[in-house]
Amino acid sequence: MSYVLRTRHLTKRYGQKAIVQDLNMNVRAGDIYGFLGQNGAGKTTTLRMIMGLIRPTAGEIEWFGEGRAGERARAFERVGAIIEYPGFYLNLSAADNLEIHRRLMGMGNKEAIDDVLTTVGLIGAKRQKVKSYSLGMKQRLGIARALLHHPELLILDEPTNGLDPGGIKEIRQLFLRLAKQRGITFIISSHLLSEIEQLATRVGIIHQGKLLEEIDYEALQRKSRRYLEIKVDDERRAAYILEQQLNASDYVAAGPGVLHLYEHLDRAADVNYTLATHGIGVKGIALSGDKLEDYFLKMTGGDPLV
Amino acid sequence: MFNVFYAELLKLKHSRMFWLVLVGALPANLITLFVMMPKVSMDGARVGVDMMYVFYRQGMMLVMMGPSMFTIMAAYIFAREYQERTINQLFSYPISRIRILAAKLSVVFALIAVTAALSSILALGVGVVQLIKQNAEWNTIWLGIRMNLMVIVLSFGTVPVAAAFGMAGKSVIPAAVVGSFATIVTVIGEIGHGRQSILFPWLTSYGPVRRMAQEIAQAGSNPYEPTAALILTVVFLVSLTYCLFHYVRTDVHSGS
Repeated sequence: MSYVLRTRHLTKRYGQKAIVQDLNMNVRAGDIYGFLGQNGAGKTTTLRMIMGLIRPTAGEIEWFGEGRAGERARAFERVGAIIEYPGFYLNLSAADNLEIHRRLMGMGNKEAIDDVLTTVGLIGAKRQKVKSYSLGMKQRLGIARALLHHPELLILDEPTNGLDPGGIKEIRQLFLRLAKQRGITFIISSHLLSEIEQLATRVGIIHQGKLLEEIDYEALQRKSRRYLEIKVDDERRAAYILEQQLNASDYVAAGPGVLHLYEHLDRAADVNYTLATHGIGVKGIALSGDKLEDYFLKMTGGDPLV
Repeated sequence: MFNVFYAELLKLKHSRMFWLVLVGALPANLITLFVMMPKVSMDGARVGVDMMYVFYRQGMMLVMMGPSMFTIMAAYIFAREYQERTINQLFSYPISRIRILAAKLSVVFALIAVTAALSSILALGVGVVQLIKQNAEWNTIWLGIRMNLMVIVLSFGTVPVAAAFGMAGKSVIPAAVVGSFATIVTVIGEIGHGRQSILFPWLTSYGPVRRMAQEIAQAGSNPYEPTAALILTVVFLVSLTYCLFHYVRTDVHSGS
């Protein structure tokens, strides 16, 4: 398995206060890594350390499976980032801002500027000064700049901050398209569960500076699904009856005499009746499991995300 | 390195920096114009243009404008990265921060050079005319050019101080205050024509200008020059070291 980015025991302390503690992050090639946490959880500090803007108190950052701290400059040629806010030289046009980026990245291909502005839908405003841009346009221009040098990894800190719902949807679709078409790996930090839910293939949950869990989104969904927990005297027969009578297929035998049924959640009474009329002894039936949000609440000790 | 320097220059496109250069250069040209006004001696005879005096006045005005102008230029180039929140991006490039610092300082040097060149344009024009009319010697013109070159180099000596204020204060304002203070001291120092005035780092560049004044020049070399050069060198190195430390070591936080 190839890792684009790994951190080992990454820590940042100010005096006695630990902002980020012992953080081990593992981002695989092709992941859309949702870095989820409340405001002040340590997301931005972590990303700043990764981008070399803050010096870690302890720990290491490993880039593309090879580079450690000394190789950072070389790794940065393969990384695009927007940390917190896409800053631009407001007296310049979008094209000039990207020209500065092109120069500083040492790129030869000037046509790439038009290509990337077309990708984010700003080609018509390329000569417009950035000071006249809306926040949404600036966010898109930030993404254009991050994409200009064809990075393998995009690090985006709260990229939908300040965008309207239409803009959020547009940017989300752009990320998904880039991940699919160009195979770009993403690290997207957010305090919005809904945003991560719609994008991420892997999720890292940070709370009070600690990475509580790092998990594939599918596994997370399984963990956080709601189900009917049915306690019966014969789970194999019960499963057969559910299949035959209720066309149920999404269930698991969770243990001796226990079935977890992930469908017909609002039909507990029907399930009970069907099993009982077919001679199954039903000892108990209850709605169980977590919604994704409940799962995060449990993980973070009851602190809501938003 | 050229790409980094060019990028820094490009950042100034459509900014007010070029107005600042013109504002810095204009007074010296106005004073040159004034010096060129027809003059008559006490006995009524017409007095020709004294090129030494033209360059002396031009240099005085340049050195007077320099502390505030060059301080604002340097502080703006450094502070704007924090004010426009481009510092995150700037420090995320695969370029060492030392090279970024060097490119920024080089741009300030170029701006000082352009300001000095523009401020001397009328004086040089007059000099060329006087040369053609054989009313002046090339040696005098060369002294004027050399004075301007020296002013450029010596004015650059205090640029890291302005840069340090710009990056530490993350604003042009602290540096502008320092520049205003330095200008006031410079004006007072120039009016006094004291030999020791060049010990003040922002007035060291007055040294070569002072030499141009014939009477003062005849008084011999200024014994304070080695000390002034030492003070300016120390100021330059200390402030440059601070800039290097700040750029390379300091964390860039939210809102920086």
